[in-house]
Amino acid sequence: MESLMELKSQTECPSPTAPIWQDVLAQAVTGELVAAMNYAALAEICDDPEEAGEAREHAAIERAHAAAFAAAGRKIGVDVVSNVDGKHWKRLREAFMRCVAERDTIGCLIIQEIMLESFALASYTRVANVAPGSLGKVFRAIAADEQEHADHAMAILKAERDANPQRFDDKLHRLHLEVMTTLAAMLAKECKDGHCEVCQSSCVKPSLFEVSLSAAQLRGASLQQYLKTLDALGLPGEITLTWIAQLPV
Amino acid sequence: MDCAVAGVAPQVDFALVGHPESWGAAAEVFSALRGPEHTPLPDDEIKDILPWIPPRAICRVDVKSIGDAEAHGLYIDSFIPPDRLGAACVRENLTRVRAAAAYAIKAGARIVSLGGFSSILIEGNFDQLPPGHHTVFTTGNTLTVAFIVQGIEKMCALEGRNLRRSTLLVVGATGDVGSGCVRCLAPKVRRVQLLARNAERLRRLAVELEAAGVEVEIGTDLGQFSEQADLVICAASLPSPFLLLGRIAPDALVCDAGYPKNLSPDAETSRATVFFGGLGQITGGLKFDPDLHGILNRHPFPDVAHGCLLEGIVLTLEGRFEPFSRGRGGITPKLVEEIEMIAARHGIYLAPFFNADGPVTFTMK
Repeated sequence: MESLMELKSQTECPSPTAPIWQDVLAQAVTGELVAAMNYAALAEICDDPEEAGEAREHAAIERAHAAAFAAAGRKIGVDVVSNVDGKHWKRLREAFMRCVAERDTIGCLIIQEIMLESFALASYTRVANVAPGSLGKVFRAIAADEQEHADHAMAILKAERDANPQRFDDKLHRLHLEVMTTLAAMLAKECKDGHCEVCQSSCVKPSLFEVSLSAAQLRGASLQQYLKTLDALGLPGEITLTWIAQLPV
Repeated sequence: MDCAVAGVAPQVDFALVGHPESWGAAAEVFSALRGPEHTPLPDDEIKDILPWIPPRAICRVDVKSIGDAEAHGLYIDSFIPPDRLGAACVRENLTRVRAAAAYAIKAGARIVSLGGFSSILIEGNFDQLPPGHHTVFTTGNTLTVAFIVQGIEKMCALEGRNLRRSTLLVVGATGDVGSGCVRCLAPKVRRVQLLARNAERLRRLAVELEAAGVEVEIGTDLGQFSEQADLVICAASLPSPFLLLGRIAPDALVCDAGYPKNLSPDAETSRATVFFGGLGQITGGLKFDPDLHGILNRHPFPDVAHGCLLEGIVLTLEGRFEPFSRGRGGITPKLVEEIEMIAARHGIYLAPFFNADGPVTFTMK
């Protein structure tokens, strides 16, 4: 696989679908910056210096991802503008920071590694399959990186669940209601409660079909990845199905 | 799709692997899982979400025998989308069935019934399923055949039809269920008509029956038969109900045993008696957790389920964890008799008759 640095080269021909990619990239850059901020905050509450170091390293990697996405945008002739205070992302960030305030590192990992990374990994993989040229390669390379992060966290979370499944599942459900409800609203086929404050003009979702994507597909893939992650942790499938069924659409 | 195996709750004796028969059925399950405090999902949302769900349990199933035995199990949905049962999706659907089977194995089920298309996809080749040292699989088709045969015989008696003088048409005659029905009923009727797509398989079955003295006609099209059948069993593996049955006796008795149903809503059967076959009723006790009574089993009578699923329950109640039905046309009258006796011992009997319009009313012929 090519490294992210190798993928940064000269500008490609502007495409009529560039404005769509601009908004897709804006969501991706915003998500990466939120992840970077989350890891940086997590590093501050880690008692173990090694874990704190790893969190800082992850924060740096997420910032590099954001930079790679922004560069990919420039290559297709668009400026990618992020907004970590966009309403959905702000809510996700606030949920994470509540865990930080409680020095709840497991809660932080659940939000970032299970929920947000499921969304990122599934979305990036779908986008990589249809994005043209180097854009697709950037999404594919970053999806591979995110998979590595998730694998690392899974070992910690699995050990935590094995120690006390009920306590772990209760915490996960509480965070699910908070975070996945926001993600579900973000991934709904239509933005029912106004502009997301990340797209440049009107909502990009109705235009996604022009690049062989759809909001429904991205939501489906994200929920599937989330369920698979919960399955891998050992949560009962009939319980997680009910959680998914109760999400807003 | 790549299907990981879901986490699993406490140990179980049996597992029932199924899939939604229609989008309406899927919508009802989702609505129940969402609970009354949430608005039901619109149909288009169900269609967008369901295909992405990895196979997993929907509910726990507890069954009581009329004797002392109890059985505890899971209903596992493979979430094969109802509009993707066709040949074009075989590979994807096989992956789903394997993942559902892996789920059952992880749950510790000692026996797994493969309902509806799950067993059709496996085609009797259980080697396609993940290995489970303590888990056996059954297609459940022997008990389905038992209930179809019982249904035909009982309806004939109720309507005053003479089985011995009847011409029996079996649609999907070379399939596991169809051939089982033919073997059980052929000696009891005047003539059998075998309808299926594969001419060579039809010929082989006809040779077997003729050797036993049965009067047989075969065809790949209804128009090929010399007379109109007055008894019909629809047991074809159709991805949706599109069978029109244009050329049967106007007052025929028609048993639709398909899952999904075979008969098209446009089939001209206004004077015929149509009933859904292959179904049994649990009389000892059936409990779902969460309570999906009437949702998972959408029938006008309580505690009714398909024979293929009931077979795994019956064998569990009997303590016989064995692959009773292996597919590939191996169902014999002897096996049918054996499974219906075991079922009856535990209070699982032929279900009351109904069709798409509700309970069936009888008319003497």
